[in-house]
Amino acid sequence: MKPRLWLALFIIPLGLIIAAVPQNTIHPYKLTPAQMLEEVNTRTQFIAPETVADMLVKKDPTLQLIDVRSLDEFEKFSLPGAIHIPIADLLSEQYVEVFDQDVKMNVFYSNSTLTANEAWMLTRQLGYNNIYVLEGGLNYWFDAIVNPQKPESTSSDEEFAKYDFRMGASQALGGGSVAAQSSDNKTTAPKPVIRQTPKKKKAAGGC
Amino acid sequence: MGPLAVNELISENTNLFLAFLIGIAFGFVLEASGFSSSRKLAGVFYGYDMVVLKVFFTGAITAMLGLLFFGLFGWIDLDLVYVNPTYLTSAIAGGVVMGLGFIMGGYCPGTSFCGASIGKIDAMVFIIGLFLGVSLFGAGYNWWEELYMAKNLGDPKISESLGLSDGVFALILIVIALAMFTMADWAEKKFPREEY
Repeated sequence: MKPRLWLALFIIPLGLIIAAVPQNTIHPYKLTPAQMLEEVNTRTQFIAPETVADMLVKKDPTLQLIDVRSLDEFEKFSLPGAIHIPIADLLSEQYVEVFDQDVKMNVFYSNSTLTANEAWMLTRQLGYNNIYVLEGGLNYWFDAIVNPQKPESTSSDEEFAKYDFRMGASQALGGGSVAAQSSDNKTTAPKPVIRQTPKKKKAAGGC
Repeated sequence: MGPLAVNELISENTNLFLAFLIGIAFGFVLEASGFSSSRKLAGVFYGYDMVVLKVFFTGAITAMLGLLFFGLFGWIDLDLVYVNPTYLTSAIAGGVVMGLGFIMGGYCPGTSFCGASIGKIDAMVFIIGLFLGVSLFGAGYNWWEELYMAKNLGDPKISESLGLSDGVFALILIVIALAMFTMADWAEKKFPREEY
């Protein structure tokens, strides 16, 4: 037989196999269970409400809040600029664009952190980056930003600074309490640190 | 040795050393397959020797099938494989310049070094021209920077733009390649050249 025929007999079946295999088995979960466990253990997904509030006040365009609660709850109350992606529709094609990008920080939130964490885990396993969870959920958001409690007078300066920041954010974001700020404390709020996981470098090459 | 160097399994120097060895092997295979002859290389434009087309298509299909199956077996993460970004305008302009140079000189950059290393004078002249071109491009970069950077399409894959899965596109490409091989055989019979 001619070598050309041998080649054809060899590579056409290979092509048929690769064409018949569904696409998504070629792209399995991007994180192994061990990697996932490490992320869970280091709690890299959590972003503090102060950080989110700071970004909201500064109108940071890279922040994308995602409400994973039901539509009813979303309509009753949602954070400024948040989009609504109910957890049931998380894998819907129409939301791929929201997740499949490297520019914005997607921050999931729900009432507690449970549903948001589920959404985070799923999207992380699909290999999407820049996915975070609002620490403490909306419940903690109310305590921390909307109705911050004035610290005890014996508290540290840091506590007061945090309180000042929260009050400022609360007012800027139209929160519940518009009380006078503690005037005896001039320190500015510590700048929240944004934790970002380093991206994997791509292998560069070419001929 | 991309994945090994990026993940710091081997040092940068080991990486370069491996690249050196692979380069020598590549050059040896090129020479052994006759790719150091400008007449053989230019034959693809005249139809009397289509070995360039056959070799490159075979190489492309082998690499494509290898990558897809490695991805299927989970041996390689295809998302981490570097895809050259596409700048449409400069890709077309560069393709024309490269093609003209290939027809006139009978070499492409890699094969010119292959030819020069076995003492071919036309290959050495080609390399001088290559360096002149590179210098000219660098010196006049300000003039064509706009053209160079125009129409950045990111790093799209043809399969994605056609809305096909990678596997289906691979199968189509295999069929096209086999058809091209048959056409190449036909061309070699149709435009034979005795000595070159």
